[in-house]
Amino acid sequence: MFWGKSRNIIVALEVGSTKVAAAVGEIRPDGTLALLGIGEAASGQIRKCEIVDFEVAQGCVRDALAEAEQKTDMVIAEVYLAISGAHVRSSNTRVTTLVGNDGDEITAEHLQELQDMATAQPLPTDHAIVHHLLQHYVLDDATKTDNPIGLASKQLTAHFHQVYGLATRLQTTIRCVKELSIDVKNYALSSYATAQAVLTRNQKQLGAVVINLGGGISDYIAYQKGAVVHSGVLGVVGDHLTNDIVSGLKIPYAKAEFLKKSEGSVILDPNEADGRITLPGAYNFEERQIHRTSLNTIMQARQAEIFEIILEDLQNAPFWNDFSGTVYITGGASQVKGLIELASHIFPCAVELAHQSPFDGDQNYGRRPDLSTLLGLLQYARQAEMELPSARGFARVGQSLRKALASMKLI
Amino acid sequence: MIEFTQDGPFAEKVDHLFPDRVRIIGLGQTGAAVCDQLVLHGRPGQDLWVFDSDQLTIEGSVVPNRHLLGGKLVRGLGCNGDIELAREIVVQEENQLAHVVRGCDFLVLVLGLAGATGVALAERLIELTRETGAKVIVVGVQPFGFEGWERREKSIEAIASLRQEADSVLILSHDRLAEHPTTKKNIRHGFHLMHGLMAKTAQALAQIVCKRGLIQLSFADVRSLYGRYAGSEVLENCWVAHVEGDMRDCPEDLVAELLEGPLLADEAIWKQVDHAVVAVSGTRHLGLSDVQEMVSVLKDRLPANIPIATSASLDEENHDKVRMSVLLAMTAPVTAGAADMPVAPTKKNRPIAETGPMPAKGELEAPIAQPLPQPSQATRLVKAKPALVPVENLAVAEEPEALTLEAEPVDQTPKMSARAKKRFVAKQEEMQFESATRGRFEKTHETMYRGENLDQPTFRRRGLKIKV
Repeated sequence: MFWGKSRNIIVALEVGSTKVAAAVGEIRPDGTLALLGIGEAASGQIRKCEIVDFEVAQGCVRDALAEAEQKTDMVIAEVYLAISGAHVRSSNTRVTTLVGNDGDEITAEHLQELQDMATAQPLPTDHAIVHHLLQHYVLDDATKTDNPIGLASKQLTAHFHQVYGLATRLQTTIRCVKELSIDVKNYALSSYATAQAVLTRNQKQLGAVVINLGGGISDYIAYQKGAVVHSGVLGVVGDHLTNDIVSGLKIPYAKAEFLKKSEGSVILDPNEADGRITLPGAYNFEERQIHRTSLNTIMQARQAEIFEIILEDLQNAPFWNDFSGTVYITGGASQVKGLIELASHIFPCAVELAHQSPFDGDQNYGRRPDLSTLLGLLQYARQAEMELPSARGFARVGQSLRKALASMKLI
Repeated sequence: MIEFTQDGPFAEKVDHLFPDRVRIIGLGQTGAAVCDQLVLHGRPGQDLWVFDSDQLTIEGSVVPNRHLLGGKLVRGLGCNGDIELAREIVVQEENQLAHVVRGCDFLVLVLGLAGATGVALAERLIELTRETGAKVIVVGVQPFGFEGWERREKSIEAIASLRQEADSVLILSHDRLAEHPTTKKNIRHGFHLMHGLMAKTAQALAQIVCKRGLIQLSFADVRSLYGRYAGSEVLENCWVAHVEGDMRDCPEDLVAELLEGPLLADEAIWKQVDHAVVAVSGTRHLGLSDVQEMVSVLKDRLPANIPIATSASLDEENHDKVRMSVLLAMTAPVTAGAADMPVAPTKKNRPIAETGPMPAKGELEAPIAQPLPQPSQATRLVKAKPALVPVENLAVAEEPEALTLEAEPVDQTPKMSARAKKRFVAKQEEMQFESATRGRFEKTHETMYRGENLDQPTFRRRGLKIKV
């Protein structure tokens, strides 16, 4: 019963170019997270994480949520949404406030003031803020700290990493969910969510770049000394690999996708220069022999280009000069053969395949890199829920009532 | 009509009545090469200057007034495309540049738009010239497409910057010569050809703005054609052709040769061009009627019906030569955007008559009512009417009843007159090749990175060969 001791259920939703997936988790009383199940549906009319056909995309979201409900026997009323797209931009900003001429003590109000000032920072026209991620605070004497409360200083500066995107496109994705009578409780940048799934606190401290190679976009985020220092989105990845194969080898899209996954490699092996792959025929497609070199050349050219563009962007960021961490690669397109070898050639630092942090509950999804963002978003949701002040008294009744009505599709 | 003669008592003073108020300055490597051409093939006595930061360019130039800039900064090694460095040089050489702009009414700056030294110098010279009240005309050339997107982007930025300040900016494109046989054989010949054309352009401009003669144009005419685009995205806006012949040559031949100019080879330009300026110069034997005849022939043969402004002057140093330069201009922004115009010349359509031998006599027997000529005589197919025969119809013979055989001693291979060539217009609309498809991403926003469309396959953009 919803007015009884209700379970704290959280749902993460990712509207991707390849698939729409919804993960249902439960926050246990001790604060740990258990995965209850995941619902998936193939994406339709979503390219580069942006909706091309609203109705078709909404149907995919509905299917994914329905499957998640069916698998977990839960009613989904609100979700945390992963946000991405080639329109998403980021920048680093800093704001300063006066604490007092006599070096007064810094209080929570000062931090809130800085947060408000950061929120009021001007953005490019038609853009809306997605995140203000705090990097660190700086005191008078240039001392950096994560928690300045109680310290004495004349002025306090906060450094933020702000992420913003085109308001209309962000609204479209949110509306796609809201029109299904599902509330979007909060949203997070995909790459930020991914990092929550694959990076430990220690790795963030040492320095890490997480590259999530999805179906429609590659997004990446960089951590140094525990803070987000850079992020970016490139609207090129797995779909482009397949599209290149279609264009180069003149084969249907489905065949190209099959070829990419089963035979493709981004490393050119001289021993396989004369090798051929037999592409099985179908009722409307005659069996064909494909040059392995051709396939791999196409894939390597594209994948190398993606890495080179990301590297160039990272190199232009100020943090890169002092970066000595590791590049972690994850996402559905990271399963291509030879990827780490190729990345190691391009990035002048250690490169590894990312592994998701262990979690409780359904263990069927733990080894799937294409679910990194979704599971990371679930972690983000857990953190956000933990930080929310718990409702008491009438507020708690109202919250429960709202959930119940939402589950009955009345609001 | 006022005609100056050198027979009277003021004969020696004629040249001083209209002193050379035009100063042509070559900036950077391209500018130096253009000025070299002017020294070697142009009129002697022109006020020419050359500036560059590359010692090799300056030492190799034949222009007497040549100056190496930025010796302290780059030690004669050039700026290597670094515009900021070039601007530093300009600041350092401020006094020398201020001296150059004094004492002239018109300044013609000639430069390559992808170079740093030339562009930085041009920007500053224009500013300095404004203080003296002189007018500035810029003649710039865009780089070849194969030189890379970086140079192309630099040139676009330079055009935007120069158009903000200069009175007139004439932009030519190297890509127009990409398909020219000379260029295909040796790229240096392509550059040389363009430098020659730019030299002729500068010379024609000098004639238009200050040379008095039979028919006078002014700077206002130049500015009205090339000075309207401050802030516009139109890039290439000038196409030039030049011909030099003997005074006794037939005007028709001169015009035909003029229209064979390498920059006019692409028929697509005639859809963009909307004005023309013709500059004719010759000796005192050149009369007004000669000029009128030449312009009339040109107007008749131009593939586009556009207004022509004419300037004619007398030049005793022409030695019985007549020179004709045509500057075509695009003043109205086209709907597709001039930037999207295919700059590489497309192959000319060959008339059907040129694609194979004439039809055999036997094939024509049935529809022809009149007796055939003797086998020894060559035959030419003509329509009964009208008099002007579209050549493409000759061999097709779609309307055999309208054709007659006319006995005439002509060559076996059908020759087309220059007039007919220029008049050739495809009857059927030509099918244009669309740009490469983006496949799955056709409906999405293009992902552009440094001028490249990342939705296009990488292997294709990088020219990798794929065995299918």
